[in-house]
Amino acid sequence: MAAIALFGAGRIGSIHAANAAAHPALTLKYVVDPAAEAADRIAQRWGAQVAVAEQVFADPDVAGVVVASSTDTHLDHCLAAARAGKAIFCEKPIDLDLARVRNAAPQLQGARVLMGFNRRFDAQFQALKAQMDSGAFGTLETLNIVSHDPAPPPIDYVKVSGGLFRDMAIHDFDTARWLLGEGPTEVFASASCLVDPAIGAVGDVDTAKILLRTASARLCLISNSRRSAYGYDQRIEAFGSGGMVRAGNVTESTLSLWTEPGAAADRFQNFFLDRYADAYGKEMAHFAEVLAGAEPRVGLADAIAALALAEAAETSVRTGASAPVAL
Amino acid sequence: MTRGAFKVALLGAGRMGQIHGRNAAANPRLDLAYVVEPRTELASNLAVELGGRTATLAEALADPDLAGVLVATSTDTHLDLVLASLEAGKAVFCEKPLDLEPANLRAHVDALARPGAPLYVAFNRRFDPHFQALKARLDAGDIGRLETLHLISHDPAAPPPSFIPTSGGLFRDFTIHDFDMARWLLQESPTEVFAFAACLVDPAIAEAGDVDTARLVLRCASGRLCVISNTRRSGYGYDQRVEAYGSKGAAIVGNPRVSTVQTWGEAGSAAAPIFPSFAARYAQSYRAELDHFADVLAGQASPLTGYDASLGALLLADAALRSVRERRSIAVERL
Repeated sequence: MAAIALFGAGRIGSIHAANAAAHPALTLKYVVDPAAEAADRIAQRWGAQVAVAEQVFADPDVAGVVVASSTDTHLDHCLAAARAGKAIFCEKPIDLDLARVRNAAPQLQGARVLMGFNRRFDAQFQALKAQMDSGAFGTLETLNIVSHDPAPPPIDYVKVSGGLFRDMAIHDFDTARWLLGEGPTEVFASASCLVDPAIGAVGDVDTAKILLRTASARLCLISNSRRSAYGYDQRIEAFGSGGMVRAGNVTESTLSLWTEPGAAADRFQNFFLDRYADAYGKEMAHFAEVLAGAEPRVGLADAIAALALAEAAETSVRTGASAPVAL
Repeated sequence: MTRGAFKVALLGAGRMGQIHGRNAAANPRLDLAYVVEPRTELASNLAVELGGRTATLAEALADPDLAGVLVATSTDTHLDLVLASLEAGKAVFCEKPLDLEPANLRAHVDALARPGAPLYVAFNRRFDPHFQALKARLDAGDIGRLETLHLISHDPAAPPPSFIPTSGGLFRDFTIHDFDMARWLLQESPTEVFAFAACLVDPAIAEAGDVDTARLVLRCASGRLCVISNTRRSGYGYDQRVEAYGSKGAAIVGNPRVSTVQTWGEAGSAAAPIFPSFAARYAQSYRAELDHFADVLAGQASPLTGYDASLGALLLADAALRSVRERRSIAVERL
């Protein structure tokens, strides 16, 4: 059994806590969060202790930490964990400031860092990747990724989120890199505030279409919206020289209703906690493998590359031109 | 074959000419009287099949009973034939594009865009029943306010490289349909265009100076966005889909299939293929647009698309071409 500590007792922290507690090779020993009540609730639920960071890092029993605190604290927790020799499972994004992550990278070089790009662990997208890798549809040429949230987050979250590209599209940037098998070199983005003027008022956008181009001229489209009235829309289409492979939305049931106005299917799983519940479990299982010595399947370099794409997208929105990706 | 009320002449007996000629001959309101085509064997074969006779353009236009002309020749001849036909007082049905150069259209604005000019330019997708059903849903407000639009338009297989040099290139030849769809569905002309384009399908296309794969983002003054996905070769049929995203939901038009048969086996389930070609996928739209032309001839309708739609789509194509060169989003010239 490997003991781990959880930093952050919010929404995503409670998911990771439950998955860690359910995993046979992991024990959730500590929960760290300045919000004492939230920390206490999770600790009690899973038989862990509420602790402060120093206590966690000083405990030689702790093999790894899960960083699921607010984004602005991710990097500091990662650095402290690396200094203490703990393995790290860090929620995305690792930080909002690319330069800051690049500066910190040498200090994280020796650490084992698993980045929480959960979509790489999703069964649908893994099946898609397996089809692509099998060569069933020839060589990959272009990719269309649709990623629409059901409803915008509270405006207080939007203010500190780092903006649509660093907070939301960051997942799609990682998915694009994973499926393309090469890092895009050029980004164009057009973005608007169409959903809620309050989002525009705090300087962010809620709707974007992003185009990525790789060195081999393969193209990728990312479609983002903060609001889709019909649920969480998460689809990927990969177009190859011999056909196409797509992953569609997962519905709440396989039910369909046929009546006079037409045929209707059940709704899409409503948000990421439902749609990616299984993926969160699998990424925690992978963290257990990392603690047992495996190389993280998605790590620091991926975190930096996704952030570089987000930054290029922001530059493109500002300049109206395509922006090179800073390598 | 019964003869309809309106005598029409077909110019061009190639691939599109055969489609329009057959639909005209089958339309109860039209009488396909003449086939005009310099390749005599092609002309006489089609004339015999359709119950018309071969003629020169001058002969056809000199017939005072001739009401309309169907222009389905090669693109570089469209504009001259349209102008000559309008000049002779005939109503005109012209295959898209009307011309490849906005300047040529502007030079003849008086003839092409005078009020009541009987010029229909065949953007057939507006007559597809699936897209019309989508438009009706959008107009009814079923998805709330339209915010963004995805047009997926992939050809089954690349044309022969010999076609490329006279085609006008991917944007003017192929994407032109999607530009028109975007203008039609957005009900607002995009003001900015960005395009990434590449040659990924056939190096011979690049040697001819063209591209075969593109992703475009169109932006409207209102901030609404449209994406166009193009390839000359899908490998699985003619992929023609539209996804419209609104404030209250989305409306999706998928690919019709050649049959509804599915086969379920040990390896999974498989659907029948989607249509293999534009002629099969859009057969209904080609019939419907000729019916629209009959309405125009009968004075029951004004042409749905003419000069403005042609120029509007062409200006978007020009902006896309410049964007590929300059790697930035390009302001679209006003009509």
